[in-house]
This record gives sequence, structure tokens and C-alpha cells, in this order.
Amino acid sequence: MRESMRKLISRLPHSFRVLYRQFLLRVVDLEALSIEADIPRFLGQFAGVLIMFSLIHMFDAFLMSLSGRPHAPEVLLAFIWSKEQSLISEMMLVVGLIAVVSWDSIFPDRRDVMVLSPLPIGPLTILLAKVSASGAIVGMSVVALNIASGFAWPLVLGGLPHFLRFCSAYWFTMAAASLFLYCAVLTIQGFTALLLPRRIFLSLSAILQLGAYGLFIGAFFLLPTFTNLAQWADPRNHRVLALSPPYWFFALFNQLTGSLPPALAWLAHRAWMGLGFAVIGAAASLILCYLGTMKKTVEEPDLVPRVRGLRWTPRFGSSLETAIILFSFRSIARSRQHRVVLAFYFSLVFGIAFSMARSELSPIALRPIAPEFLMSTIIMMVLAVVGLRNVFPLPISLNANWVLRVTQLCPSHKYIAATRRCQLLFAVLPVWLLTACLSLCFRPWNQVAEHLVILALLGWVFAEISLVGFYKVPFTCSYLPGKTNIQFAFWGFAIVLIVLALSFAPFEMQVLGEPFRYAGLLIVLGVAACGLWTFNRHSADSAVLYFEELPDPVITTLGLTLRPDASVHGRDLAVPQATSTRR
Amino acid sequence: MLELRNVSKHFAGIPAVDDVSFCARPGEVTGYLGPNGSGKTTTMKMITGLIEMTFGHILFEGNPIQDDLIAYKRRMGYVPEEPYLYTHLSGTEYLTMVSQLRNLPQRESSKQIDGLLRLLSLHDDRHASISGYSKGMRQKILIAAALLHNPDLVLLDEPFSGLDVGSALVLRSLIQELAARGKVVLFSSHELDTVERVCTRVVILHRGKLVADDSIAHLRSLMELPTLEAIFSQLAVEQDTDSMARQIADLIHA
Repeated sequence: MRESMRKLISRLPHSFRVLYRQFLLRVVDLEALSIEADIPRFLGQFAGVLIMFSLIHMFDAFLMSLSGRPHAPEVLLAFIWSKEQSLISEMMLVVGLIAVVSWDSIFPDRRDVMVLSPLPIGPLTILLAKVSASGAIVGMSVVALNIASGFAWPLVLGGLPHFLRFCSAYWFTMAAASLFLYCAVLTIQGFTALLLPRRIFLSLSAILQLGAYGLFIGAFFLLPTFTNLAQWADPRNHRVLALSPPYWFFALFNQLTGSLPPALAWLAHRAWMGLGFAVIGAAASLILCYLGTMKKTVEEPDLVPRVRGLRWTPRFGSSLETAIILFSFRSIARSRQHRVVLAFYFSLVFGIAFSMARSELSPIALRPIAPEFLMSTIIMMVLAVVGLRNVFPLPISLNANWVLRVTQLCPSHKYIAATRRCQLLFAVLPVWLLTACLSLCFRPWNQVAEHLVILALLGWVFAEISLVGFYKVPFTCSYLPGKTNIQFAFWGFAIVLIVLALSFAPFEMQVLGEPFRYAGLLIVLGVAACGLWTFNRHSADSAVLYFEELPDPVITTLGLTLRPDASVHGRDLAVPQATSTRR
Repeated sequence: MLELRNVSKHFAGIPAVDDVSFCARPGEVTGYLGPNGSGKTTTMKMITGLIEMTFGHILFEGNPIQDDLIAYKRRMGYVPEEPYLYTHLSGTEYLTMVSQLRNLPQRESSKQIDGLLRLLSLHDDRHASISGYSKGMRQKILIAAALLHNPDLVLLDEPFSGLDVGSALVLRSLIQELAARGKVVLFSSHELDTVERVCTRVVILHRGKLVADDSIAHLRSLMELPTLEAIFSQLAVEQDTDSMARQIADLIHA
């Protein structure tokens, strides 16, 4: 098997194989997401997270089969349908996020054109190599996310006699849903690139990318789950069903397993149509792009004069603070890499916000504040602060850092203060405002105001915690990706976050109605924030700003040095001295 | 006056700059010459404070620069060898950031930036991203950023790189004008013709060691050579250039 694979691969053109390997490394932004720039390891870790989800679903399936069939057939149907919808939605969300993270990677960029055009390689070879690389990543995600649940659920749903049919229907549906979504994204990108001038396309592409992020997250969190035939057949729901691909593929799965009610056949029909259009659209747009835009890219002028209407730029404190805040804002806004990593965290923030909005908008009457609401807002705050803190160390241009070093005319603590202000402006303030918007109209204002004060203090505390030992200017220090184990950090962070929010929210709930306890909580949080601020300020006084992250030394020195005046019986004593360490 | 006393820099024990001493005086343009890898840029980086020297002292107006590095940096302007810039910013944004980092008054510096961009023919592209700028345009941004705060010490590491003929002529005159206004100008370049026209004196480095430090006229008469190029070839170029060119052509032909 291995030998025949090797023979098959060796038959492929050499240029294709070289390009495929190169593009595989570039499907996902290496600098942004890799671990020690080692793509197989990164992909392995990414697959590990997906496999974890798959195992959770498998566990769910076995719990269901062990607990016996639920009492009534309609309850059973509701459970099965909601599960099927959630599995398909989750698959589409994962593929959607991959499409967003690998945005533009399948289309020829300026670098590809300039490097590969002079070489004797046809555009079709480049296209095939890129498609294969992207396909490999998407395929790996589909397999990883369903590796356990893709066998457990068909077994539970179809039983042993129908396992084969359910299993093949399951895998086909998942593959089709993924293919549909990825191709739909490519079609939109491709035709936008073809129809618009390249300069406008590049600006629009960034907006489209963030829009796609919002759409996928929003759809996942906001789309309702229909659990009985009456809901599916209700004409009021037809518009949502007709426009939401997860329902189409739910219908397709049931069609393939033979359990689709005839009333829903139109949805399965939409899935087939959608899949066909998406694949044809993607193929056409890609071929046209490779044949057309490669030439267009070479011919376009390097520099197009840009007119800017507004000359005013806001001030955010001192000159230094303004410089660093504007630099940070522009780095986030203009660097795809930074935008995408931050968008990952903010998509979770907005996901929670969307689900809050849904629950807030449903009843008309004012409702008292609830622990779930408090919990959500705290989680949003932590995610935003952690997200921004995780983006800060990613450098934007290491070579250009000399200018910051040559102009370093202020003490380090002023740079740290500017970084703190970035945290407060770009993470704490947006979440605080979002919470205020989502709650002031639907909850008693006095309770909301009390919570907003606590949330502001919590935001300040989180921001200060995130700055402990961070003696850098955002986006300027070299990055050692190997220092962070993404899987460990992700799960560790998720667990700490949930425990924190679960334990704090009920406590805050009790405190909100009692002025004395509320004042006490404010004092505690205020003292914590001020204490952390003082600690960071004091540490920053003696800190040296650094622009290069150094790896931990391979050999650990004991720091023993000889002091000439120390001797016992004529023999010198080794005196330990503090070795300077850098976080 | 900028003075280097027995300055050395070792990388992993290997000397890149070895016991170099010279002075650059106000009102003079000091040329700093040497073949590739001779240690010019390393010296420049030590003078800017970007890297620390292994041995020796660098003094500005009689004070070691490390004693008050911040005060020293306030008075220094630096154009690095490579035009490394934050390319996601526009020309105006970059210069504004530099002026803010130097804590220059906002109103005055924005007028200065506008004027500099106009004089350097970058005004039309001031709002375009630096990523689209040519090498010469980037070089002009670097020159503007180095001069924005009216420094007393100007360090120019190959400032003519990528500039068109007109801009190079302007820069040549500018260097002389800055020196005439009493600034210390240390200028490194491979363009010996320009160096010969602009510099009052030259310092030549070879394999990290100083091999000449004198006025060009004195060097000419001392070595009995007609041009700076001939002096430089004798002091710092080891190989037979014609023979090397033949060898390269032979190699690719084979």
C-alpha cells in the first residue's frame, strides 16, 4: 500500500510536489499559528483538539445507548434531530473557520506571481498544488472531527443492521457540507477578485474575511434547532430553512438514510443544488483567476496614490502613548495575521454576545439580572483580554524595530503604560460597551449599572494580570512559537475560565442586591486592581524593554562565582549570585 | 565631537571591529569606508547604541554615550543601511510615529513632516502604504525620520542606496549643508566618488581594523595616488578584481 502510494506520488510532476509542500506550509499563516514553525506538529495539535470534540460526541452517543431509548418516539426524534443538526453545524463551523484562517491562500498573491512567473511552471500546476494543499487541510479536519463520532452515532442511530448505510450517509453528508462551504467561500472570493480592480479587492477582501467570520459564528450560535415535523413544516420557518445550509445538509443526511419526511425533500434538493453550484463556481473562478489575474497582478502599478479625506487622528494621552496605541491599532487593522488571530478570540466573544442577544430579545418584559448573564459577560471580558494579550507578542516587522530602540527616550514604565492603555481601549472597553448595549434596555438599569462597575474593575484586573512580566511594545518582539503549547494552553485556559466564571457569577448575584456587600466587593476588586497596577508599575521601573525573545538556555548555570575575599582554610568559597532572568 | 577610543566588538569571540579609534568633528563630514564585512555597520550600530561594544569607549562631546543614553539619543539622527520600515504604515503615519516617539511638539512636527515630504517628492504618495514604496522612496523616509528632530550628530549608513540621480545630488548637498551648520556627520558609503566630493576626512576600515584616518588630500599626497578609489584599492582590496571576474565567468560557462 505504502509502496504503491509512493509510486503514485512519484508519477506526479516534480514541480507539483515541490509546490504542494510549500503551499501546505502556507495554507495557515505560519507566523500566526504554528508551533516552532513545524507544520506537521501544528496540524497534529489542531487535529488533536478536533479529535477531542469527536470523543466527547462519541461519549454522548454511548451515554444515550446505555441509558436506553427515551420514553416517547417524539422525544427520541427530537433528541436525534437536534443532535444531527448540532453535528452538521459544528462541522460547518470548523470548515468555515479554516476557510477564514486560510483566506486568500488558494489564490495567486503578488509574491507567488513575482517568484513563480519567471520559472517554467504553468498556472495550472500552481493552481492544482494550491487546491491540493487546501484540500488536505480541510480533509484532515473532516476526518479528525468525526473520527470517533462518525462511527458511534451511525451505530446508535441505525443500529447494527443499518450501520453501513448510516455510516456512509454520515460521512458523505459531512464531506459534502464541508465541500459546499469551502467552495462557496472560494466562489465569492474568486468572483470578487475577477470583477473588482485589484486594489479595491484587497481592501474588500479583509472586510469579507471578517464578515465571513461573523457569519459562521453567528449562524452557529443563532440558528434555532427544529426538533419536530410541525416546526419544519411551519411556513413561518421556511425562510430560515431555505437560507440556512446546515438544514439542507440535515435533510440530505436523512434522505440518504431513508428517514426524510417527504415534506422536507425540497431541503435535500437544495443541498444537492448548492453543492453543485458551489463546486462549479469555485472551479470556474479559480481557473479564471489563475489565467487572468496572474497577468493582471504583474501589470498593476506598485504604488497607487491614495487620497485621504480626514487628517485628524485622536490623541490617547502623551505623545508616546498616542504613538504606541495608533501603531497597535494600525497593526491589528492592517495585518491579516494579527487580525485573524484576534478574530478567533473575538469571534468567541461575539458568539456569546449573539447568544445573549437572542435570549435577551425573546421576551418583551424586563427581567432581573441572572447568573448566566453575569457569567457570559465575565467570560467575554476574559476572552477579549487574553485574545489581545496573545496577539501582542506576534511581531509585525522585526527588522523595523530599530526605530523604536533608537527613539527610546522615555523610561520603560511609560511604554508599559501605553501597552496597558491598548488593553483597556481595545479589549476591556469594547466588551464593556457591548455588555451595556445588550443589557441596559432589557434588564433593570440599576442592576445593570452595578454589574457594569464590577465588570469594569474586573476588566482592569484582567488587563493588569495580562501585563505581568510583559516588558514589550506590542507587535515588536520576536516570537518563539515553541514556548506556548497551544493544546495545553487552550484547555488549561478554558477550564480556568469556566471555573472562574461559574464561581464568581453566583457570588456577584448575591452581592448585587446588598449595598454593603456590594461596596465590599468593589473595594476588594479596586484594591486588587490598584495592587496589580502598583506591582506592574514598580516592576516596569526597573525593567528593560526587550525586542528579542531568547530561548531558554540549554545548559542551566548555577550562578556560582568566586569572591576573592571569601575563603575557608585558605580555599576560596563559591558564592552564589543572582542570575538575571527574563520572562 | 564624536570620539571612538579603542572600540572593539566580538561576536562569539570573533572580532568584527578591532580596536578602532577615530574622531568626527562638528563642521566636518567624516567618511567611513571599508569593503563588505569590514565592520562599518557594526560600528554604526555601536555608535547608535543599538549594540553594545565589547571593549572601548564612545564619547560624544567628551561624555561616554552610555552615561546618559537617552540624552544622547535625543541629539542623534540615524539612517540605517537597509531601509527597514513598518510597511503597514503610510509615509506620513511613520514619520508622525517617529515624531511622537521623540516627543516633538505635534503642530510643528506635522508642518515639518509635510514640508519634508514635499521637498523629498513624496507628498503625492504620503498616504499610501510604505509596502508599495520603492527602495529610493523608503530611503527618503528614513532620511526624513533621521532629520526630523534637528539632530547634532547625523549617522548615515549608505544613505545613497536606491536614490535616483536628482535625489542623490540633493542629499549630497544636504550632507555638506548639515556639516556647514556645525553638525557632526559620519557617513558610510561604497560610492567613493561621492565620498571624495563630500567628505572632509575619511576613515578606512579593513577586516575590522582601522587602516587609514586622515584628510583625503593628505592621503593622496602621502600615498602618491591620484584618487580615493586608488587609495581604497591599495588599502582595503586584496583580490585581483579582473582575475576574479574572469573566474566567475568561467565558472558559469562550465
